[in-house]
Amino acid sequence: MDFWIVTNNERVREKYATCHIVFVDGTDRDVMVRLRDLVHAGHILLTHPLTGSLKPGETPFRSVLVTDAPTEKVDTFSLQLIETCRLALDKFRIRYEGLSKSTLDDFREVDLSLIDSAIPRAMADRSRGRFE
Amino acid sequence: MRLELGNIDIREIRFAEKSEIKDGVLYVNQEEIVAKVLEDDLIREAHLDITVPGESVRITPVKDVIQPRVKVEGPGGMFPGVIAKVDTVGSGKTNVLRGMAVVTAGRIVGFQEGIIDMSGPGADYTPFSQLNNLVLVMEPKEGIKQHDYERAARLAGLKTAAFIGELAKNITPDETKVYETLTVKEGFEKYPDLPRIGYVLMLQTQGLLHDTYVYGVDAKQTLTTLISPTEIMDGAIISGNCVSACDKNTTYHHQNNPVIEDLFEAHGKTLNFVGVIITNENVYLADKMRSSDWSAKLAEYLSLDGVIVSQEGFGNPDTDLIMNCTKIEKKGIKTVIITDEYAGQDGKSQSLADADPLADAVVTGGNANEVIVLPPMEKIIGTLDFVNKIAGGHDGSLREDGSIEAEIQVITGSTNEMGFNKLSAR
Repeated sequence: MDFWIVTNNERVREKYATCHIVFVDGTDRDVMVRLRDLVHAGHILLTHPLTGSLKPGETPFRSVLVTDAPTEKVDTFSLQLIETCRLALDKFRIRYEGLSKSTLDDFREVDLSLIDSAIPRAMADRSRGRFE
Repeated sequence: MRLELGNIDIREIRFAEKSEIKDGVLYVNQEEIVAKVLEDDLIREAHLDITVPGESVRITPVKDVIQPRVKVEGPGGMFPGVIAKVDTVGSGKTNVLRGMAVVTAGRIVGFQEGIIDMSGPGADYTPFSQLNNLVLVMEPKEGIKQHDYERAARLAGLKTAAFIGELAKNITPDETKVYETLTVKEGFEKYPDLPRIGYVLMLQTQGLLHDTYVYGVDAKQTLTTLISPTEIMDGAIISGNCVSACDKNTTYHHQNNPVIEDLFEAHGKTLNFVGVIITNENVYLADKMRSSDWSAKLAEYLSLDGVIVSQEGFGNPDTDLIMNCTKIEKKGIKTVIITDEYAGQDGKSQSLADADPLADAVVTGGNANEVIVLPPMEKIIGTLDFVNKIAGGHDGSLREDGSIEAEIQVITGSTNEMGFNKLSAR
């Protein structure tokens, strides 16, 4: 078993080049849609789709871990979570348009840091061959 | 564990040649403190400012707020594992500089939030407008990494607060209060008929700008555990959290946690305050499950009848909150949760990103999406560069006259989820 990193953050793609990356060339909302599709296909969420306490619409970057091998049945916990997160996201206005390069770099760094905190956990679970 | 808190009222802060406390006035030698702050190579520039309640001043972006305290008797020192050695604190005597705080401000990253207005309508939303503040404004060296500078700014604030606290070591307090936590056995024997109540304190622990430290340990690397409430009063928990100004817990909030204060007040009268369970809010879902399992397990282990759960932050911590609540309820233990809401500017949307029928007793810190207009202030401490970027702000939120139209989530502590606010609704 392995995990995939679903992300639209180039910094995450670069740092974890040896991992399986599902790169979404789009906004954080596009990442959410991709995650929903993966959950519907039987993948299980390993990290929370609302990653940090930066408000939706504030940061354009989002990185989330899912299992690689789809299960036959849709995971109901993952399904409920991704749908409530998408609803939560839609409540916020997009405010990340027109940000400076350095601010975008800061947002990339924070997103990377949030997923950095989860990846050692996912690697440990991968090596024991089981994700909870 | 018994702690005596000696409150020393600080009526005023003044710059002076010698740093000292005399007759309720804190005198500060600015050069002395700045020199200490600049010992860290990562900080290029630092200066201090003083703010007084009621004046036309806006501080932004605020990183942390810290109350100076000092150990007078008993083991350990302030901010154990960070500034002082890691010895267990929470017993003996501690002096507190009441009515003041050290506020750290300045650029950490390019989108920082956090406003404290010392007067006007915004002042009503933050408890820190009521304090005499010593504001430490810092500038990083060029080209340093965000992680390194966040740590440097965090430590500079704590170092400054610890230095000022030391000035109060030999001052006779204006008021003394005693807080005592009994052992499990003593509690059963002394209050056999009172309900046994615990407090689950959730700590934000997700990564850069989202971290909390317990005795110096990054809490995302910890398992849910027990801590004495008086250890928290002695600075065992410090904030490394820079986002979500309205509902993050600053170090000051931890030092003065109102849930702990109120539980002590009721202790031995209407309830038996058994202790505090601290648990984290991690990104990895298996961590959330493990940590909330442990909250419920420890609540059961302590034979609690009821638990108060307080959240920190927004979004994924809603999931931790509901997991803690439902798992504890399923052990037959009643819960009350404290959270805040993101219900949209009209207040009509779903408030939380998670919910459960077992979460049937909820205290809210308010709707963070509520819109407010903050009038222009005569003096700005820090910078207004980020006002259009911060949460709740939007392009155009900073108007030409210096006023700001934004959601109350931009204000430090406005919807605090420990209930550390003074506005309420009927």
